Amino acid sequence: MEPKALFDGHPLHKLLPVIAGIALAIAAALDLKTSAQAYDLDSNNCLACHSSPSLSKQNGQGSVSLFVSANELTASAHRYLDCTSCHTDKPHQVQTPLTKQSLAQKCGTCHAYEYKLHLTSIHGQKLSNGNSDVATCTDCHSTDSNPHSVVRVLEPTASTYPKNIAQTCAKCHNNPQLMSKYGIVEKVYESYMRSFHGKAMKLASDKLAVELLNKATCTNCHGTHDIMEVNDPGAPVAGMANLAKTCEQCHPGAGVTFASGFLGHKEANPSFLPPVYWGERFFYIFTRAVLAVGGLMVSFEIGRWGVGHIAARIRRSREQDD
Amino acid sequence: MTAQQASSDVQRVTAGYILRFDVHQRIQHILMFSSFIILAVTGLPLKFSDNAVSQWWIAVWGGIDNTRMIHRVAGLVMAADFLYHISYIFISMVLLKRPFPLKMMPNLNDFRDFIQDLKYTFGLSKEKAKFDRFSYREKFDYWAVGWGLAMMVGGGLILMFPVTAANHLPNWVVPAALVAHSDEAILAVGWIVIVHMFFAHLSPSIFPFNKSIFTGTVPLAKYKEEHPLEYDRILAKAGMESDRKEERPAAMEVVASEQP
Ligand code: HEC
Ligand code: HEC
Ligand code: HEC
Ligand code: HEC
Ligand code: HEC
Ligand code: HEC
Ligand code: HEC
Repeated sequence: MEPKALFDGHPLHKLLPVIAGIALAIAAALDLKTSAQAYDLDSNNCLACHSSPSLSKQNGQGSVSLFVSANELTASAHRYLDCTSCHTDKPHQVQTPLTKQSLAQKCGTCHAYEYKLHLTSIHGQKLSNGNSDVATCTDCHSTDSNPHSVVRVLEPTASTYPKNIAQTCAKCHNNPQLMSKYGIVEKVYESYMRSFHGKAMKLASDKLAVELLNKATCTNCHGTHDIMEVNDPGAPVAGMANLAKTCEQCHPGAGVTFASGFLGHKEANPSFLPPVYWGERFFYIFTRAVLAVGGLMVSFEIGRWGVGHIAARIRRSREQDD
Repeated sequence: MTAQQASSDVQRVTAGYILRFDVHQRIQHILMFSSFIILAVTGLPLKFSDNAVSQWWIAVWGGIDNTRMIHRVAGLVMAADFLYHISYIFISMVLLKRPFPLKMMPNLNDFRDFIQDLKYTFGLSKEKAKFDRFSYREKFDYWAVGWGLAMMVGGGLILMFPVTAANHLPNWVVPAALVAHSDEAILAVGWIVIVHMFFAHLSPSIFPFNKSIFTGTVPLAKYKEEHPLEYDRILAKAGMESDRKEERPAAMEVVASEQP
């Protein structure tokens, strides 16, 4: 059958060019979203070269990737900024890569408030001293510390979304080698996940609305851009008076007794909240002992019944033999 | 033993059955196990929050806050059931002038029965222990629930109002309540699933299901097997001859002298 015959005399016939036009337009729009060339504000056509995953340069340390993912940039908080607003008009004259400190400085050219706070924080202070183990802006704001994939802080996929913050801090604070270097012995991530707050966060569904993610996470107790050393007198967790105020943000009426009963990242031990420690010991032994006795009672019953059953069967077969 | 109780004991026997649980006891048990199941399925995911199943299960209940709300309502139902039971005993003793429920009290006989069962298990004796109204296992279940309720309701209330609790009690009370509540929960669920379910429903002589806690009655033959001492006494009172009396006169004497 000739395809033409299908449409002969049919009203759709006249619409065919229109349909084709719409289809083309949709295809073009979809393409716009994914194609590198089409990154809206790339007026300088930087991506003509930088969208190539193999683009790299050599420096003293070895090869540095210069690949910029247009997809990531299109989804980022900075999707309306041109490359040159961060990279200057003459990007090829600026020495990169930046250090963690100069990177924060760069972000700070626009985000002056966050930058200023950051400089006072333990992370920022250590950065200024040339320590590169601590967190800079992109360590917290991007899952892969990539300046081009910084997303808005309250997007459910953001590393700063309340449900994800513990994992973000855990990148460093759940690394025992790194932490022991700084004398931080508490397993802060594990202990947080053992606490009610951590469990509730973990059990929340992935895209739960932010107002329902109201349980405390790391930054509720320690701050965000202004995180201090925990025994700095100004830290929100330093001393019971400060800590009580921190709890009180969410637990109205919380006082010093409430705060001092908080295990923090520690475990109870004979000198820290001893009744809790001995209670744990007691229940550890008690639950196991009682369940073991119960288990024995059941297995005795089954065992005795089984033996009786088999004995009866043997007796019966003997009687048959006789 | 009062005359009233003696006659009420006889009234428990009807057409092939013995009444074992009155209607209040049956309601109490229904409230207990239904709140228990809800508490277990809404509480365990928090204990095992690392398990992938837990997150899915919490979502089934509509999120962690819903789950906690349901957990609290079920907890209050269980606490109310506890109060129901206490008032039930109180009313039965003070208003109805029934004697103190001595039969539920642990005594030396329970220990002897336990040893007897051990001997039976290891073939040192041909006889199982013979029980009165409640076997040592049933008494243990009852008192374990009593202790468990104190832990779970007490701990649960503290966790429900942690700030209030901390403002009136020492600082270690809230974290200790959490330890008690969570470990005791595992113990309770473990015991019910392994031991209670087995001896009440799954053991070879009962399998698959024992409906007497719902109907309140037990067939006479079954009662004779499970609670021979009480069976003999009731039948003796009813003027029927017990075929067991000659078998164990000594045990009967112990029971008889136990009566207030
Ligand atoms: C013609 C291709 C091309 C275009 C267009 C281009 N770049 Fe580059 N870019 C490169 C190459 C090649 C390098 C590596 C230079 C080297 O080896 O030092 C580079 C390096 C860079 C660097 C690292 C700087 C350094 O020297 O260490 C940055 C940042 C950069 N480009 C940004 C941009 C921006 C922003 C634009 C648009 C304004 C842009 N590029 C346009 C090819 C290009
Ligand atoms: C929000 C500001 C911002 C925007 C917008 C931005 N970048 Fe960057 N870019 C940075 C920062 C910060 C770095 C990190 C520099 C470093 O680590 O050395 C960086 C790194 C780079 C590098 C790698 C340099 C190196 O040596 O590692 C290239 C190439 C680059 N950007 C290209 C682009 C291109 C092309 C665009 C536009 C499509 C763009 N950037 C948009 C902030 C920005
Ligand atoms: C220790 C991790 C961490 C570091 C380091 C960090 N941030 Fe943030 N930032 C966060 C978190 C978490 C939020 C979300 C705060 C909230 O939800 O209230 C946030 C929020 C923001 C916001 C949104 C406005 C606001 O305050 O809510 C901006 C802008 C921002 N950060 C920029 C920066 C810049 C610039 C730097 C570097 C100078 C930086 N951040 C360093 C964790 C960090
Ligand atoms: C050229 C100025 C400029 C630079 C440099 C810059 N930003 Fe931004 N940033 C912006 C603007 C403008 C917005 C607001 C975008 C919007 O609201 O749509 C923004 C938004 C953000 C947000 C989201 C805030 C929110 O409310 O959710 C974060 C996080 C952020 N920037 C982090 C960074 C980090 C990290 C750097 C360094 C890598 C950086 N910015 C560098 C201009 C800049
Ligand atoms: C409910 C409040 C609270 C939350 C949530 C919380 N912390 Fe803490 N954190 C404390 C208190 C109080 C201390 C000081 C006492 C201690 O070490 O337990 C502390 C101490 C610390 C320390 C120093 C430990 C040391 O050994 O010096 C680090 C690092 C830390 N927290 C990181 C985190 C991280 C990362 C998270 C999230 C995974 C987190 N905290 C969540 C309250 C909190
Ligand atoms: C890139 C790694 C990194 C990330 C991400 C990071 N930190 Fe840190 N943080 C460090 C290092 C390293 C130190 C130790 C600095 C020192 O003591 O000299 C530190 C110190 C701290 C301290 C002070 C500990 C003390 O000894 O008193 C706190 C509190 C803290 N971080 C909280 C957080 C929180 C909360 C987050 C997440 C929002 C976070 N950090 C994310 C690396 C990181
Ligand atoms: C960001 C808000 C926030 C902060 C800060 C916070 N909490 Fe909580 N916490 C919650 C929420 C929400 C709940 C669950 C609702 C409730 O029970 O009130 C909770 C629950 C608890 C519970 C468990 C109650 C239960 O039902 O098991 C304890 C204990 C607790 N918090 C202690 C603390 C202590 C101690 C601090 C201070 C070191 C603190 N919280 C700080 C939000 C917070």
